[in-house]
Amino acid sequence: MVVYSFYIFDRHAECIYKRRWLPRPSSVVASKSSRPTSEASAPATAPPAILGQSARTTDDDAKLIFGTVFSLRNMARKLGGEDDNFVTYRTSQYRLHYYETPTNIKFVMLTDIKSPSMRVALQQIYINLYVEYVVKNPLSPAEHPGGVGVNNELFEESLEQFVTRVLS
Amino acid sequence: MSYYFTVLSPTDVPLFNIAFGTSKSGGDGIARFRFPDTAQYMNQFIIHSSLDVVEEAQWMNGNMYLKHIDTYPPASAYISAFLTPSGARFLLLHQPPQLPTNASSATTGSSSLLGSSFSGSAGSSSRASASSVAANPTSPQTEEAVRQFMTEVYENYVKTVMSPFYRQGMEIKSSVFRSKVTAAGRKWL
Amino acid sequence: MSSATKASRIGEELWKTRVDKVNAELVTLTYGTIVAQLCQDYDGNYQEVNKQLEKMGYNIGMRLIEDFLAKSNVGRCANFRETADMIAKVGFRIFLNIAPTVTNWTSDNNQFSLVFDENPLADFVELPDDGRAQDELWFSNILCGVLRGALEMVQMQIEAHFVSDVLRGDDTTEMRVSLVRYIEDEMPPDEE
Repeated sequence: MVVYSFYIFDRHAECIYKRRWLPRPSSVVASKSSRPTSEASAPATAPPAILGQSARTTDDDAKLIFGTVFSLRNMARKLGGEDDNFVTYRTSQYRLHYYETPTNIKFVMLTDIKSPSMRVALQQIYINLYVEYVVKNPLSPAEHPGGVGVNNELFEESLEQFVTRVLS
Repeated sequence: MSYYFTVLSPTDVPLFNIAFGTSKSGGDGIARFRFPDTAQYMNQFIIHSSLDVVEEAQWMNGNMYLKHIDTYPPASAYISAFLTPSGARFLLLHQPPQLPTNASSATTGSSSLLGSSFSGSAGSSSRASASSVAANPTSPQTEEAVRQFMTEVYENYVKTVMSPFYRQGMEIKSSVFRSKVTAAGRKWL
Repeated sequence: MSSATKASRIGEELWKTRVDKVNAELVTLTYGTIVAQLCQDYDGNYQEVNKQLEKMGYNIGMRLIEDFLAKSNVGRCANFRETADMIAKVGFRIFLNIAPTVTNWTSDNNQFSLVFDENPLADFVELPDDGRAQDELWFSNILCGVLRGALEMVQMQIEAHFVSDVLRGDDTTEMRVSLVRYIEDEMPPDEE
């Protein structure tokens, strides 16, 4: 299983943390990509899901993702009631996992399509990493405009460990 | 028996004073000292003059309760002391009532006798009298009662100085503490 | 009332298994020192002290709710009555090991009272006898702020204030909590 990227959005709809890991080995990408020629122009760190759109920045990605999960979630609630929420969706290239806390913090993770449900993993990240290292850090502000306070060493390192050791 | 209780800071500043009488064997809890005219300052004087003895006695054993440490025969005043680990001192002056005879002490209501303020050294007579707390300031029973009283006051003292608005060395004005001390006196003395 | 008993059970369970305990006197003395220092810093302006305590509580509440959710793993409450039980029987239980009584609901279910039988913040405390503190200082006002901050994070704007306090000589310690409104989801700012 491969984790491509990870995002946190706060209750003000701002992306307060984003992180990308190395993409799949290029051979795998090449075999699956319908347009292998575009791969060369893609940034080395971009996951295959957005290959071919090299002009787009990571900020744009975050906004796109927020728009997607926000709409999906509202749709899920309209159809399934106030307590309903969507858990994951997949495309032919990637799978998006979603977890939202009652405080409206949204955790999003993009993985390869073979991965199992990451809902529990995202919840673990919230409980064991976000709450422990971000919320309980007295030096970090209560809100994190621009990601202030989230990008601390403990959180980043633990996240790195969690993703590389626990998830793969 | 009439009592005068004082809390002194480690630097001998009085933090708290109260005078009360016994509530045992029919007592009404009102202090009736032998010399009511001078008791107000004489009691303080007697208590403070015992401080030297306290300072000597505190090194003799490790207990917080130092028992009966000093006597001032002219007023037949007995002083018991209690030290807190932080150096505050609880001093209790007790003055037995003047009893005409030994036998009457146990049976007669002491309040009727306490009203009069005639003078005379009755220390020896009351010391020899029955072992009731009200009459014999040096008996083991009295020591035990005073110890209980001191311990209870100490518990309440700790709670009082734990109040965030109390600062070290400040006079204890808490009405709660005063009523707790009164209650302890009523209970044990 | 099933939501209340359910909440009590959750609170009890969490208190036993998930909560790190800390010496009560440490908490009491720390909080007492803060209040006493504030009273000194604001020169006995107790209204201002109340305000500062509320503000501190607000900032605590915004964080505490995340810890609460992480520990309890409970979902959204269905209504304000359930929220009240959650606060009283789970929130107060795991953070202060007390369970205030929820009472005095208004008929529209938007206002209730929390009655505190015990209050670990106020142990040993006697208000200064300057003739004003008894009428003006709400010693435990930080709790109002905590509730406001925590509930704001779960999309409820509330107003909380004490209406009585045993420290002032009242018979009970009572906090009044009113729901102002539910907060709508925020949308991302339009840029293009």
